[in-house]
Amino acid sequence: MMKMKGLALAAGLMAGLMGTTALAEAVTAAPGQEVNAVLLPKFLGILPFDQANRGAQEAAAELGSTGKLEFIGPTPENSAAGQIEMLTTATTQKQHVVMLSNNAGDQIAATAEAAQAAGTKVVTWDSPIPNGAGESFFVAQVDFGSIGTVMADMAYDLAGGAGEFAVLSASPDAANQNAWIEAMKGALAGEKYKDLKLVDVVYGNDQSEESYNRALGLVDKYPDLKVIMAPTTVGIVAAAKAMQDEGLCEKVKVSGLGLPAEMVSYSLNGCAPQFALWSFVDLGYLTYHASYALVTGAIKGEVGEEFTAGRMGSFKIEEDPGRPGAKRVLMGPFTIYTKDNVEAAAN
Amino acid sequence: MTRAVLELRAVAKSFAATAALKDMSLAIEPGEIHAIVGENGAGKSTLIKIMTGVHRPDAGEILVEGRAVTLRSTQDAQAEGIAAIYQEPMVFPDLNVAENIFISNRAGGAWLDWRAMFAEADRIVAQLGVSLDVRRAASGLTLAEQQTVEIARALSLKVKVLIMDEPTASLSAHEVERLLSIARALKAQGVAVIYISHRLDEIFRIADRVTVIRDGQHISTRPIAEVTEEGMVREMVGRAIDSFAVKTAANAVGEVALSVRGLGRAGVFRGVGFDLAKGEVLCLAGLVGARRTDVGLALFGIAPATEGSLHLHGSDVTITTPRQAMDLGIAYVSEDRRKLGLAMTLPIFSNISLASLRRFLRTLGLIDRKAEGIMAESYRKALDIRAPDCRIEVGKLSGGNQQKVMLAKWLETKPQVLIFDEPTRGIDVGAKAEVHAIIRRLAAEGVAVIVISSDLPEVLALADRVLVMREGRQVGLLDISEASQERVIALAAGTGAGVAA
Amino acid sequence: MNGLIGRVSPQTLRLVALFLALLATVLFFSTQIEGYLSARMFNRISTSAAVVLPIAVGQAIVIMTRNIDLSVGSILGVVAYMTGQALGAMPEMHPVFAVLLAMGIGAVAGAINGVLVAWGRVPSIIVTLGTLALYRSFLVEYSNATTITTASLPQWLVELPQASLFSIGALDVRVTVVLALVACLVVGVALSRLRAARKFLAVGSNPDAAKMAGIDAPRVVFVAFVLAGALAGLSGFIFLAKFGNITVVAGLGFELKSIAAVVVGGVSIMGGSGTILGVLMGTVLVDTIDNSLTRWDMVSEFWRDALLGMLIMAAVTLDTLAARQLARLRRKEGGAE
Repeated sequence: MMKMKGLALAAGLMAGLMGTTALAEAVTAAPGQEVNAVLLPKFLGILPFDQANRGAQEAAAELGSTGKLEFIGPTPENSAAGQIEMLTTATTQKQHVVMLSNNAGDQIAATAEAAQAAGTKVVTWDSPIPNGAGESFFVAQVDFGSIGTVMADMAYDLAGGAGEFAVLSASPDAANQNAWIEAMKGALAGEKYKDLKLVDVVYGNDQSEESYNRALGLVDKYPDLKVIMAPTTVGIVAAAKAMQDEGLCEKVKVSGLGLPAEMVSYSLNGCAPQFALWSFVDLGYLTYHASYALVTGAIKGEVGEEFTAGRMGSFKIEEDPGRPGAKRVLMGPFTIYTKDNVEAAAN
Repeated sequence: MTRAVLELRAVAKSFAATAALKDMSLAIEPGEIHAIVGENGAGKSTLIKIMTGVHRPDAGEILVEGRAVTLRSTQDAQAEGIAAIYQEPMVFPDLNVAENIFISNRAGGAWLDWRAMFAEADRIVAQLGVSLDVRRAASGLTLAEQQTVEIARALSLKVKVLIMDEPTASLSAHEVERLLSIARALKAQGVAVIYISHRLDEIFRIADRVTVIRDGQHISTRPIAEVTEEGMVREMVGRAIDSFAVKTAANAVGEVALSVRGLGRAGVFRGVGFDLAKGEVLCLAGLVGARRTDVGLALFGIAPATEGSLHLHGSDVTITTPRQAMDLGIAYVSEDRRKLGLAMTLPIFSNISLASLRRFLRTLGLIDRKAEGIMAESYRKALDIRAPDCRIEVGKLSGGNQQKVMLAKWLETKPQVLIFDEPTRGIDVGAKAEVHAIIRRLAAEGVAVIVISSDLPEVLALADRVLVMREGRQVGLLDISEASQERVIALAAGTGAGVAA
Repeated sequence: MNGLIGRVSPQTLRLVALFLALLATVLFFSTQIEGYLSARMFNRISTSAAVVLPIAVGQAIVIMTRNIDLSVGSILGVVAYMTGQALGAMPEMHPVFAVLLAMGIGAVAGAINGVLVAWGRVPSIIVTLGTLALYRSFLVEYSNATTITTASLPQWLVELPQASLFSIGALDVRVTVVLALVACLVVGVALSRLRAARKFLAVGSNPDAAKMAGIDAPRVVFVAFVLAGALAGLSGFIFLAKFGNITVVAGLGFELKSIAAVVVGGVSIMGGSGTILGVLMGTVLVDTIDNSLTRWDMVSEFWRDALLGMLIMAAVTLDTLAARQLARLRRKEGGAE
């Protein structure tokens, strides 16, 4: 299991953990029941989703579920259509719950509603169904509002408190990235950031070469650019490599959300001195616990219910502030990586 | 007796349940011109494909110079010295002429020496007595030129047996002469030529021996001296058939339907003028390249005229698109069925209704399938299109039947002026006689007909008047009573005397 | 006496037209973007085009034979990953061997396509649509969700994208660019001068005629796919060097990029015609438009893709119109002979 020794950010993110004080009210699902579950990532083959699977398997073993936990997903080129198909299949197989990191936007809502109607619960994690339809609740990695503050802070640090910076995001229709960027814009309104100027938001569509070219485009377009903020694991590496290849690391710093294993060399050589991420292992672990509690009837999935999630303590279901009418379970916190802790996290 | 250069012994070949060849035996001797005749569907194509390695026989054997051989592919056949020229010329439109000639040649290094290649290509083309720029791309070559390229390709391979499948179908009289002399030259060099043609006159002029096949079976092989035209045709079709009677007098004609004055298209043709009456058949004769087809294309609006005037039923008209032409009651049955005429992958009924689909549209623009089917069926019967029903793909029909489908398509537009471009090119004697009968019947019903044909006997059998063109200009307009083969050729070739041998 | 235009072939006319379209694009953006005509912009576009170029050249060969290869993007991904892994395990591997390894892996993947298309007689669009998913799934299985990272690669490879072979004034000519251009040149010369290579065009020009002319068409098609695979492999190598970080998504969408470059470059989608020089110009044109748009203030991010599509269509239209106009001039000159 990946150990995160990073310094945890407390501000506002601790909401979920605050449940510990009210432990008495939190329900604990009885272990050893039969829960057949499917963990359905956006697509197979990249590290974060594999880590989430590890966490989920850990939780399943801990709870001693007599059912099966399957980790299936589409291939990258077929993500959206593949997810809808696999969710349908899981429904016809009468799986108890599908844990979905949604990559199909609202398109999948109808399929999810059909699944719920047929008795298969749908719990989302990492990326929710934007309109909330068909989903029992969303296990959020971090508070989407607070991630904005963290990105604003990292940009502030790296730019030395003043100057121009730009955002390199995934795609114009990625719900979570857009929410984070909006949250960051909100944070930037604060007095502290008055000398920090967000000049542009560009999109690399989570493709290495597009992100690489966009990053270079930004540097060309804004000669005084100090920071590129990439809230996407593909974008941040591509941007860092582009700055390194063009010898621009002294001038333009790269930051955002990245995987330590992929970012280690750029952190060490100063191209990307600071970036953030949460633990995908924990996200998988928590998602499984929540889903298990839901399937076994320990919780109903109503706002205000609390449940315990093994080593992570207890969590509460609440209104999702970003999606009216939808519910979430907030994990938090996340970790800021620098040259001091990145190597340990990478291994 | 000389040993056969190519011999088939008891060869049989079936496709699904259809036996295309049954117990076919044939011996080709070196240096002979051996004609093979038979109706379409008699098995000639299959025979050629077996000799060139495209198909392998189900039974029997193939011997080359006495050795039993297995021909698995055209390469194998070429390695044994057997090559073929086909009815539809097989050229590579995007490659230049020289490359087209040497494409099958495995001799020479891996590296292309363009200069040497062009020189050698020039030499071979000159040997054929043709002037052709070997550096130009093959796209845009006329059918005759494409065929020249194909013959040159076979020559470059130093073949022992050259199969010519309908080589003169697209050639004009003067090009036919040249081809026949090439065939004789090949013979003199010891090459055996297998000559397949529907034009019986050519066979009598050059063949040493004639083999008749019918229904996949060998009927006879005889020295040419022992063969008569009537006998040969009877053997081919299995019944007696009228040969083309030359028309001696024009039919009585009605009022003028189409009047053309000074028609021309810049850089292509000019000075074409005639009056065409209802019920009249006007034939456009001339050598290939005389631009007769362009006159047809101009009248039909595909390549519109840029000068001159047209009067149709007494009023002035201009035609710039095929749609206009069709609305004015003009139809054009093209020479190249594949390119301009038929959708080969569609069934017969769709092809027939294609030009008149508007008539079958019902509410919401849906096609009335039932009416369409009845209409198609009536043509299948009336024109004797040989297919079990109208749902058969047109590509699966023989050339003659494709021609009839095309004709049905245009008849369905109820034309008043019908232009035929080479209506019988590459179709067999039986089908040809039927097409002629249809043309005569249409004329008798009052349709004004224009026939563009390179086949002089056909012209003389159909025409009331003959319009002769040379190099894009009208050089004569003869009444049938004053037209003769010699006179037309003389006008077309621009020589004082006839060139017919 | 023919005029200048009369002596050049239609193919050359297309190239001239394409060049005019490229020139128009560059001139337009130079009025719009500050510092556009600079050595930096040259580097940006040349290094970015270098990744697509080999794959586009391979695609062109396949399209010339009247086929299509939709699996090249997946091949690129597989090659980049496997080569990266091999270099991680054997950092002392000679660079030349690494390139050959990448092309070899690509060739194997291409050979599978080739066998199915040439001898299996399955239409190439179906075969490669299948292998597009198949190779990608293989990569997902094979990679086991681990990423190739820059840290695991030998230093020479990480530094390769910055390395210049030589400089002309301020213009750096990078090694990756030279690598792509060499591949382009070799294929280009072969297609015009190598007897065997002309058969690609022959087969695409008229498959029936090719059969009748005794060309072993299936073998020619097979070789085309193997070459396309090998060239996708070369792109995979450049991709690996340039981006360093390889996951299962590497090369997604490259099949469409390569087809766009090839079609813009004047290769007939119906097979039989086209030049490698055209493909080079097509690749550069598409890349120039793309890279220019990202630096142009007039257009928002949301409209960029739509505008890229429109500009590509405009370039193709301009090119077609210009080629037709030039051909008309040529006929006139020819007619005045």
